[in-house]
Amino acid sequence: MNKLAEHNGPTLEIEKLSFSFFTRLREIPAVMDFSVAVQPGEAVGLVGESGCGKSTVALGVMQDLGKNGRIVGGSIKFKGRDLAEMSAEELRDVRGNEIAMIYQEPMASLNPAMKIGRQLMEVPMIHEGVSEQEARSRALEVVTDVRLPDPERMLNSYPHQLSGGQQQRIVIAMALMSKPALLILDEPTTALDVTVEAAVVELVRDLGKKYGTSMLFISHNLGLILETCDRVCVMYSGEAVERGSIADVFDDMQHPYTQALFRSIPLPSADKNAHPLVAIPGNFPLPHERPPGCNFGPRCDYFEAGRCDSGQIPMADVAGNDRHATRCVKFQEIDWNAPIEIGEQKEKTEPGKVVLKIENLKKYYEVAANALFGGGAKKVVKANETLSFEARESETLAIVGESGCGKSTFAKVLMGLETATEGQILLDGQNIEQTAIEARDTRTISDVQMVFQNPFDTLNPSMTVGRQIIRALEIFDVGTSDQERQQRMLELLDLVNLPRAFAERMPRQLSGGQKQRVGIARAFSGGARIVVADEPVSALDVSVQAAVTDLLMEIQRKEKTTLLFISHDLSIVRYLSDRVMVMYLGHVVELGSTDQVFAPPYHPYTEALHSAVPIADTSIVKEHIVLEGDIPSAMDPPSGCPFQTRCRWKNEVPGGLCDSEVPPVRQREAGHQIKCHLSDEVLQRMSPVIKMAAE
Amino acid sequence: MDPLSWTGQIAFLTPLLTLVFGLLGLSVLSWIVLNAVLPENRAINSAGGSLSLSSGPRDIASLAVKLCFLAATLLIFSYLVLGLILGTQAGIIGAMARQFLPVWIALVLLFTLSIAFKRRLGLYGKLFDSPIGMIGFALVMFWVFTGVFGAFDMIVTHDDPLAQISGLKNKVPGTPLRSPGEGDFQWYLLGGDNLARDVFSRTVKGAWEVVKIAPLATLFAFMVGITLGLPAGYFGGRLDTLLSFLANLILAFPVILLFYLLVTPEIVQTGLPQYMAIVLFSFPLIFFAVLINSRFRTQPSKNYLWLAIVLLPLLMLYLLVVNDPGSKVDFLTKTIDIIDIPGGILVVFVSVVFVNSPTVFRIVRGLAMDIKTRDYVAAAQTRGERPWYIMLWEVLPNARGPLIVDFCLRIGYTTILLGTLGFFGLGLPPESPDWGSTINEGRKLLMIYLHPALPPAIALLSMVLGLNLLADGLREESLKD
Repeated sequence: MNKLAEHNGPTLEIEKLSFSFFTRLREIPAVMDFSVAVQPGEAVGLVGESGCGKSTVALGVMQDLGKNGRIVGGSIKFKGRDLAEMSAEELRDVRGNEIAMIYQEPMASLNPAMKIGRQLMEVPMIHEGVSEQEARSRALEVVTDVRLPDPERMLNSYPHQLSGGQQQRIVIAMALMSKPALLILDEPTTALDVTVEAAVVELVRDLGKKYGTSMLFISHNLGLILETCDRVCVMYSGEAVERGSIADVFDDMQHPYTQALFRSIPLPSADKNAHPLVAIPGNFPLPHERPPGCNFGPRCDYFEAGRCDSGQIPMADVAGNDRHATRCVKFQEIDWNAPIEIGEQKEKTEPGKVVLKIENLKKYYEVAANALFGGGAKKVVKANETLSFEARESETLAIVGESGCGKSTFAKVLMGLETATEGQILLDGQNIEQTAIEARDTRTISDVQMVFQNPFDTLNPSMTVGRQIIRALEIFDVGTSDQERQQRMLELLDLVNLPRAFAERMPRQLSGGQKQRVGIARAFSGGARIVVADEPVSALDVSVQAAVTDLLMEIQRKEKTTLLFISHDLSIVRYLSDRVMVMYLGHVVELGSTDQVFAPPYHPYTEALHSAVPIADTSIVKEHIVLEGDIPSAMDPPSGCPFQTRCRWKNEVPGGLCDSEVPPVRQREAGHQIKCHLSDEVLQRMSPVIKMAAE
Repeated sequence: MDPLSWTGQIAFLTPLLTLVFGLLGLSVLSWIVLNAVLPENRAINSAGGSLSLSSGPRDIASLAVKLCFLAATLLIFSYLVLGLILGTQAGIIGAMARQFLPVWIALVLLFTLSIAFKRRLGLYGKLFDSPIGMIGFALVMFWVFTGVFGAFDMIVTHDDPLAQISGLKNKVPGTPLRSPGEGDFQWYLLGGDNLARDVFSRTVKGAWEVVKIAPLATLFAFMVGITLGLPAGYFGGRLDTLLSFLANLILAFPVILLFYLLVTPEIVQTGLPQYMAIVLFSFPLIFFAVLINSRFRTQPSKNYLWLAIVLLPLLMLYLLVVNDPGSKVDFLTKTIDIIDIPGGILVVFVSVVFVNSPTVFRIVRGLAMDIKTRDYVAAAQTRGERPWYIMLWEVLPNARGPLIVDFCLRIGYTTILLGTLGFFGLGLPPESPDWGSTINEGRKLLMIYLHPALPPAIALLSMVLGLNLLADGLREESLKD
């Protein structure tokens, strides 16, 4: 089967495209009047919040909208041919052969019952009818290209035998097997850890260059778009609101939504006291409740009644820039360079007395090798290894680390869902590490509460919001009568800036950010003094993240709460935390104030982490550090220093000390500690990873 | 009196129906063939989103199928309506349509009300968006209403299902009574069985046997399954292993053999079914006690109030049901023991609950294992909730979707099980009008007289089919949002 004839124009040209989904109640327009062109070899980013229609565009290109989705206007041309007019046969040839797609969840894209090699070989065997030998050699070639160690072994393994990062590389390899003209990547790295993400992003970029593939890169992360794409298209509520080259959109934005988006993400220049983030007011409109005129109108600072809320607003070209267009009627009038109105500046709160003290905390799990009969040798998983730190009143301590670093285990031990193996946790000088939650008194339980990561999972779907908060009040012995608790519940809703009418709502009627607010209200219902926030905003959209983060800070100021902020996102950590603790495989590798951790000398892992986090700022220059391989399993940690398998400074330490000994904790100035064998001179030599280009 | 024919004055519809059915079969066949032969069709999107009529043979075929189906439905409907108007003049069909009049009224009322308020009725309301679900629900409710009204003698033509009328032994449908008394119905609409009893009336009476036992027995099975399945799934470990093993043990035992054992007089005399009843019927008590206690643990006064309101009546009911004078379990004096369940029914009930609960147990256990990993369960744990609160108030409500669907399916299985029990003559008294027994009796003369066995068989089939369709509809609608 042959590929389509070569074509001079753009690889993909979408023009004035509109999709709708037809439900039994109404027609729901998912994408309206959407145009974008991808030139050969070009990478175009599609960025927007969840529900803005970016994935629908991808599915539309694949002509896979399901039963109730239909194109209601416009065209999608691939190499000059309209995809909507192709027959099913022709489409089958195009899919997977000329247009390949990479999805978010690598495990779900691979067939778990087939060996990797077989799955890869299928692609050329089906599309080009090549022989088995040739298919295998091609598979071997691409697996080598995606930089997987030991390609032969990879081909002979099943998907579950690989780690998440390796699986995603295989998915990329599969997409490249047929040398497609267009590659669609739908949030390809969202399910991966940051350091692994950095490596995969680099791979995608390099391979795009090598194979000359055009790319449509869908992401919600502006930083990632900056690192991978040449051009970008910002979407809001089913429409493209601005498109242009990276430099134009990032530095010379011409749409209020783009501007608001950049103001709500924590860039290195933001600061929670001096330059707080500016959250976008209001909520994302539901597809069937879009306002007339400009969709962003109701949330826009520049809104002008009569102009912005009447009629269709077309895309208009921005003069002087290369193919830069915006969907705003007022873009020529707005002074885009006006400085941000600095909101109220907040006093920095001084940390008070020590509330929580952790000393040499250890948590080991014993895993029986033979689960069924409990016999056989037992393996010990060291989830937490000698954790020691203090947390003070009204202080934010960030715990940073990737999956498997032991941060969740620590949270469990602190909450009392597990008991510690060794060491102690002192809450106001009282030991609680051996007291399981059933044995704790109400006061202790209500003092230490938790905010969970997934807003869609944090509330019981079959209980009203008010009922859930009241339940927490009942459990914490707040109030003496139902009326009192009802009143307190309404006050808690006020505290998290939710309308009181929400008490009667079911969780499914709330947006992600609103659910997270309810989760926060519930955590504070017993007057919590220590709140463990487990990635509270990472599952939220950027415009909502800022608001929820601010809310947490606000409550903290009011209630003098100690916040343990667990996250892998260093940008947000830098923005809101006072002190930072970096963890890797159960060890605390670095601990210090935010300034100390964000400036050299770093622990080598911290350094890599800084480099891996994508920053959506064109004026930032990052030192490029890509870690090899994946995070080792906690079941089978490396000998000596836990980070030695991926450390780029390892050969600076003489005598192979890294392989044999766990490094000691080295105290540096004023509470800054690093767990590393590197000598002081080497540490001094380190240069900052993130620099402003102007400096 | 003349014998009734099947259709009477509306016989003119029959050739039409035959024709329409023929056409329907033909169009379905051609549609299948065309779909297999012609290349795959892609929905090329016409502007405005409206699909145009007739283009290509495929569309014509599917249109033909739709039209034929519509015509067939209309014809069947007109049989019923004309029958209702004409009554016995429209033959047996007309007479039956008129006999079922209360059922039709109830069904029409139920459907109009439900459809009118369907947006406010949650999952039940959504059912009326699914044609499959609606058909299933209509079939089920038809038999439920038939059972209820039948119990009040509103539908039956001859009140006593045991009454034998001489000269009507094994007579064909529509045979008139030889010497009808004053006010008696003049015919045996569906003929007489080999003891000269009215097949129509017995079938209607049989519906009540099913309607009164099947849902209740299924409910009890669910109580048992939920009360044991939740802790097994939530705690896991040894408890899970033990309970799952017991469930497997029961599942591995042949059901029919178990029934035979349970109804053996020697076994009944040892009191075994009653001891089982004591254990199985205590589960609802445990369930509600734990449900209320876990909810109001922190407010003792409310807690005791609710416990008293719910548990005292339940406990009384329990004692009255379990106690049976003259048997091994007889601790109440005669004056108090006002409820008395016939021994046979108790055995049937106990055995049905006993064999159904392990399957429910496994479903609940699986769901609990899945749901316990959610964050809201973790949130409940971190605020110090006790395990039973989490199981009953955080896990169970969120497992309701699959459980409701399974409940519908399981009533169907129970109905079949009851039929089987009746067929083997286990438990229920031999003259009972339940469908299983009636089929068994009809079976003996099947080669000579077909008509006594068919109506109960069709009734059983349509009711179980209805339950399955209802479950399908519910599943489909609960997945949509």
